Order: sequence, then C-alpha cells, then structure tokens
Amino acid sequence: MGKVLVGFALVGALFALGACGKSSKSGDSSTGSAKTYSIKGRYTPSKTTPAWKLDKKKNTKLTWYVNADWLKLNFGEDLVTAQIKKDLNIDVKIVTGDDTKLNTMFASGDLPDLVTLTDFNSSAAKTANKWAQPLTTLADKYDPYFNKVANTETMNWFQLKDGKTYGYPNFSNTTQDYKDNIMPVNTNFIIRKDVLTALGTDAKFDTPENFQATMKLIKQKFPNLLPFGFNPVTTTTGSLGSPLQDWLGVPLETKDGKYYDRDTDSDYLTWISTINKVYRDGNITDDSFADDGPTFDEKVESGKYATMMYDGTSGAVSRFQSFKNANPGSEYVAIDGPQSTKGNKIGLKQTGLSGWMINYVSNTAKDPAKAIQLFTYLMDKQGQILTRYGVEGKTFKYDDKGKIVMLPEITKLQSENPTEYSKKYRLGEFIFFSHDIVNTYAERPTTAVTQMQNWGKGKLKPHFIIENIQPDSGTSEARSYEAVTKNWQTSLISMLRAKNDKEFDKTLSDFKSFRKSNDWSAILKEQNNKMKDNQKRLDLSKDE
Amino acid sequence: MVLPGIAFMFVFTYIPIYGLVIAFKHYTITDTINGAPWVGLENFKIILGDKYFMQAVINTLGISLLKLLLGFFIPVVLAIMIYELKDGPFKKLVQTISYLPHFLSWIILGGMMISWLSTTGLMNQMLSGLGLIQQGSNHLLSANKYWMIAVLSDIWKEAGWGTILYLATMSKIDPTYYEAARIDGANKWTQIKKITLPFLMPIISLNLILNVSNLLGSNLDQTLVLMNSQNSARSEVINSYVYRMGLTQGDFSYATAVGLGISLISVILLLITNTVTKKMNDGESVIF
Repeated sequence: MGKVLVGFALVGALFALGACGKSSKSGDSSTGSAKTYSIKGRYTPSKTTPAWKLDKKKNTKLTWYVNADWLKLNFGEDLVTAQIKKDLNIDVKIVTGDDTKLNTMFASGDLPDLVTLTDFNSSAAKTANKWAQPLTTLADKYDPYFNKVANTETMNWFQLKDGKTYGYPNFSNTTQDYKDNIMPVNTNFIIRKDVLTALGTDAKFDTPENFQATMKLIKQKFPNLLPFGFNPVTTTTGSLGSPLQDWLGVPLETKDGKYYDRDTDSDYLTWISTINKVYRDGNITDDSFADDGPTFDEKVESGKYATMMYDGTSGAVSRFQSFKNANPGSEYVAIDGPQSTKGNKIGLKQTGLSGWMINYVSNTAKDPAKAIQLFTYLMDKQGQILTRYGVEGKTFKYDDKGKIVMLPEITKLQSENPTEYSKKYRLGEFIFFSHDIVNTYAERPTTAVTQMQNWGKGKLKPHFIIENIQPDSGTSEARSYEAVTKNWQTSLISMLRAKNDKEFDKTLSDFKSFRKSNDWSAILKEQNNKMKDNQKRLDLSKDE
Repeated sequence: MVLPGIAFMFVFTYIPIYGLVIAFKHYTITDTINGAPWVGLENFKIILGDKYFMQAVINTLGISLLKLLLGFFIPVVLAIMIYELKDGPFKKLVQTISYLPHFLSWIILGGMMISWLSTTGLMNQMLSGLGLIQQGSNHLLSANKYWMIAVLSDIWKEAGWGTILYLATMSKIDPTYYEAARIDGANKWTQIKKITLPFLMPIISLNLILNVSNLLGSNLDQTLVLMNSQNSARSEVINSYVYRMGLTQGDFSYATAVGLGISLISVILLLITNTVTKKMNDGESVIF
C-alpha cells in the first residue's frame, strides 16, 4: 500500500510539473488590454471635457475588488451608486475581501478590472508595474481630462522607480491641504460632559501630577465609571502609541533630517509612566488590555469611560451619536488634556500624501477606457460632491453663499435613524476617491463629534517625511522590524501595567536591548534611506 | 467506483504539491511560481535562526500535548458512562448537552471567553463568591495561565463530540457477551475492562494516531481570538505564526517552508505512533 501511495505521489508531481508551466501573465506592463484596446468609433478624447460625458457606450460591466472586508455596498441600490451607474452607463460588481483573498487573486493571475488596495507598503503596491496600467498612459489615450483633476503632489508621491504612477489614492492630503485646515482631527482627549461639570475647576489633566490626581477624583465622584480608557491594545499599541506621541508633539525627525526614536522620547515616557501610576491607583481596568474591538465599542457607546484618549473620532460618529441621544447632557466633549512636559506644540497626524485606499486599473481590465473615466468622474468636483453630499434637490441645496446645505429631512433621518440613512443614501461611504476638500464646500452639519473636530483646528501637522519608512516586506530587515514592533507592543502594555517603577524601567531597558540584538542598526539604515527618498519626492513637487 | 475519488484526490491534493517548490524560492505574489528565483535552503535557514518561530513550536507542542494527555481519554470515559446509562430521555439529554459546545464557532466562544475571564467576569464572580479571591484579575492577560485556558476550553468544547465514534462502536457490541459475563459473575467494572475496552481498542488507536499526527497543527481560530500582547509569548502557535508571516505579510516562501517542515515532522510522528499502536493491537496496523 505504501509503495502504491509513493508511486501515485510521484506520478502526480510529474504531471503537475508539466501542467503548471503557466505562462507568465505579468512582468510587462504593455500586455493585456493595455496594448490592444481601442476606442475607435466610440468618442474622441478631449482635454477640456471629461470622457464620461463623451462616451456613449452602454452597459459596461466592471468588476471592482476592494481589499476591505468590512465594506458593505451593493452597487446601484442607493442614491450615490445609482447616480454613478446612470451617468457612466456602467454596472459595477464590487467584491470585497482581505489580504488572503487578494493574494489568492494574484496567485491565480486573474485580476478584476479595478483593484483597491489599502496598504501603500504591500508588495502588491510596490510592484504595481507588473499588474496595473500607468495612469498617465491611460489618461493620454482615453481621458486627458484626468490630468486636470489629479493632484501633482500626489502623483509624484506615488511614482514607482520607472517614473510612472499606477495607483491613485483617496484622502491624499497635500501640503496645501494641511495649510488650509481642510480635514478634521482624528485624535481627541474626550471627557463626559456630566463628569466635566461635576469636576468644575478640578478638571485638570495638563501635567502628569494633575492627571493622576484628577483620575482619583473621578473615581471618588463616579464609582461606576472607568476613569480612563483608550483604543483596544490587544495586538496594537492603540491610542497610547504614536497618537499620544503626536499629542505631546514628539519630533518626527532629528535636526539633520534623520530618524528620530519617538518610542523612547523622555517626554512621552514620562506620560506613559504617569498612565502606569493611574493604573496602579486602580483607575484603569485590566480589561482595557484584553478587550477586543467590539467589546470596546460597546463600552464607548454606553459611556463606560469617564475620559478617553480616542484615536479615530471621525469614524466613530454613530457611536458617539447614539450615546448622546440616549444620554443628553452626558455626551463626550474634547478638552486639551495632557500637555508636553517640554512645552512642545501638539502636532496630530491625519492621513498624509499616501492617503488610505489606492485604486488601480489592472492589466486585464476589459474596458480600460471606462475604468479611467470612472477615476476621473469620482476625482472631479461633481463626483466628490455626489459621494459626500448626494444629489442637488434630492439630498442637498445650495444656500445664498454658494455653500452646500443638507436638506432637513436628510439630517433628521441621519440623527434619528443612522442605519436607514446609511442604507438609503450611502453618503460618505463610497469613499475610494474621496478627499477632504469636500468639507470646505458645505457648512458642516452638527454631529456628536463636531465639537471635537472644532477643537482640533490648527492642531494637525504633516507626517509625510516618516510615511512608509518601514523595511520592505520579505526582507530580513522586515522580519526583524516585525519582531521589534511586536516586542514594543508587548513592552508598552507591560510598562503600563507595571507594578512599580523598577519593573517599568526594566521592561524599557529590556526592550532597548531587544532592539539592539534584532538588527536595529540595519532597520535604522533602511528607515533613513526611505526618509531621504521621501524628501526627494517632496522636493520634486516644490520645484513645480 | 473509486475512480471519481481518485480523480478528485489527484486534482485537489496531488497537483498542488507542485506549489511546494516555492519553499525553495524567493516568491512574491506578483511572480509566477516558475518565474521566481531559486534560493535553495535559504528559507529553512531563516526558520531555524528565528527564535519567535521556536517559541511558537514550544507553545504548539505544549498546548497539543496537554490536550492529548488530558483530552484524549475524557471522551472514552464519557462515552462509556453515557453507554452505561439506561436508554431514555435522560440519556438523550446528556448526549445533546455534551455535543452542543462543538457547534459554537471559536469566534463566538472567544467573545464569551473574553467576557468570562475579564476582571468582573463570570469566572471571578464565581471565585470571589466562593471566597477564594479578593480582587479579580483579567485571566487572559497572564501568559502563564494561557495554556490551561486554551486546553480546558478546547476539551470542554470538543469532549462530547469526541464520544460519537466510541458510542457508535459500542452499539455494535453483541449484548450476549455481557450476558455471558454477568452469568459468570463479572461486575460492571470487569465487564468494561474485559469486553468494552478491547472492542474499542482499534478505534482508540486510530484516534490516537490521528491526534498525534495533528500535534503540530494547532487550533488557529482559538489562538487568533484569545491572543493579546500580554500572553503572546505563550499563545503564539505555529499556525498563527505562519498565518502572520505568510498571509498577512505576503512572505509566502517562508510560510511554505514552515508548512513543508511541519508536514515532514507530522509524517514521522504518524509512523512512530503507528509502530506503538501495532503493539496495542497484536501486531495489526490500523492504517496500512
């Protein structure tokens, strides 16, 4: 029997060797539809009119893979996507998934027409020249108007080594956008209003000593609340990692433009040690270190925490809104909270040039002309307005200042029945090309996070220089970096849970020596190189 | 008759074996399998020098051996106990209750465990109710408890389900054996020892072989739900490590190399166990 099995395996393997000699589908970006596709007789591309207005082709079907399995969208069933469907005569099948699914797709060589990645650093994004079509080429061939709506700084930032740009991101905020304050902050120190009122003048969180004392006071006055909470830290550092560092204005680079070791900054560590003292006082529950996302969200929605270091306020509108609706007068409000002990100015992170999701047209796109038209349509002002505010007359109107105002029935539905509102309109959910510039087109509606966002005006700072500087995946530095990152997560949580100062210091020094023995110097070199590279890209846009 | 089965096996089990060559290559997702450059045993060298991987091996073996030692005989005992019950509604109820947890996915159960083991969770409420502890701690945060949590929760979930095979085998035992034994004056215990267990032996051996060959395959679902930064030193198992390196970081060659190594070791374990169980069954092998 054993012999038979072995024989079988050998025959199988031999057969497979022959069968799997799959021809290479990748490598040359001029393969696939890119080379052969023609729009002869359909329309004549124009520099001044977007091609979607000229192209009369009916009923094109596109498949669009989005690497985000949390996304729920049925194309054509809500106001936003129905409008896109009508304007471009297309039907889009949206497929969602996670990295596993994406990798399987690549392995099979069978890619959908459009691909949206969520990681600028993934090897798929870095080797886009093997499987996607250069946007500039597509624009020249089928839709020159694209160049009008694409941002130069963003296009430069996304250049690959061959000098071509393959992917275009959403929420790519440029230097100018930061100057214009167009995007809201996303990190807040928030406190329940009833707690704030009860504390009165004692609500001091600015210095480490005050912070610790106020937490004690909260515990006394509100024994049923957890004095201090923060984003889940099960497998990340949550809001106590880099968001807190930004909060305290820890520098991004050394004076000579080199990598600055933010994790071991003394100002930051002073605060980590303070939070550890709050924990030792019994004012941070151990569950904060074990709760997963849903468990934490539930606690936020029911207002379990008196104060929170919250990262991602803009994405949590509905949670804060439902707590506010159920407990008027207790809603969370943003306050200044912890201050740098060195007098550094707060410099919060918002999405930078890299944006968030990156969109590509694959080499195998059946109709690349329609694909680039869709890009242009969504990037252009009217596409931005549609995906965010909907359709004039149906969901919004212009006031006499030319600002967009949502119709009252829409805002009513949004605050009273967020789920129904979301399903019917999908405003702000079809976000693959969204940009925060749309915020400036309207008087922003008042929501549970409006006060938090207003608090943050002028507190953002571009982090471009340290974007995407981790080592490339698959290299030995990447493996070491992964080990160091994981060790930092564990160390940080252990420091926050330390029983005394001695244990705190030991954990920190263990982490430092762990770094040393795990190629830290090689990682640093890699990061410094990438920072130089970033500087070059930024300078590229300065000259223009 | 057997042809469709063979064809199926061939297409879905034997052809993919070819993909194993990427363990000896530097493969990224945008390469084809043939196009990737050969790197020889490079990936295996990295594995052997990787202490995180070694830690994962230790955890896997620790948790699996504990599961085997504590969990392997519980279903046998449970099955015999259920078998000895009088037929009727009570027996059905016991069986149903013991099967139930098997049908809960680890995702659901994981959420339950997180809340049960939290500072004010069910576990601590019971312990403080019994006066055993003053102040509850979060059990999932202490690395040293993790193995026990993983093992016990897994046994609790699967023990009932594990009895099915044994119960099916016992229902086939000819009742006249028991009658004859009773006439000869054998008590319950002797009957179990001299009749039930010998009949169960082949199935027990087979199960043991299957369990041992799975020693290095650990419960990925369970690990992913219960792992956090504080217990990862004890909870990271080979499967979750491979998952992190391969699927989430796109380092396929490395992950495949690990998988290949694990398969080889598993085959060796299988052969060793087979030798042992032969002795339990008078020199008869239950698999070949």
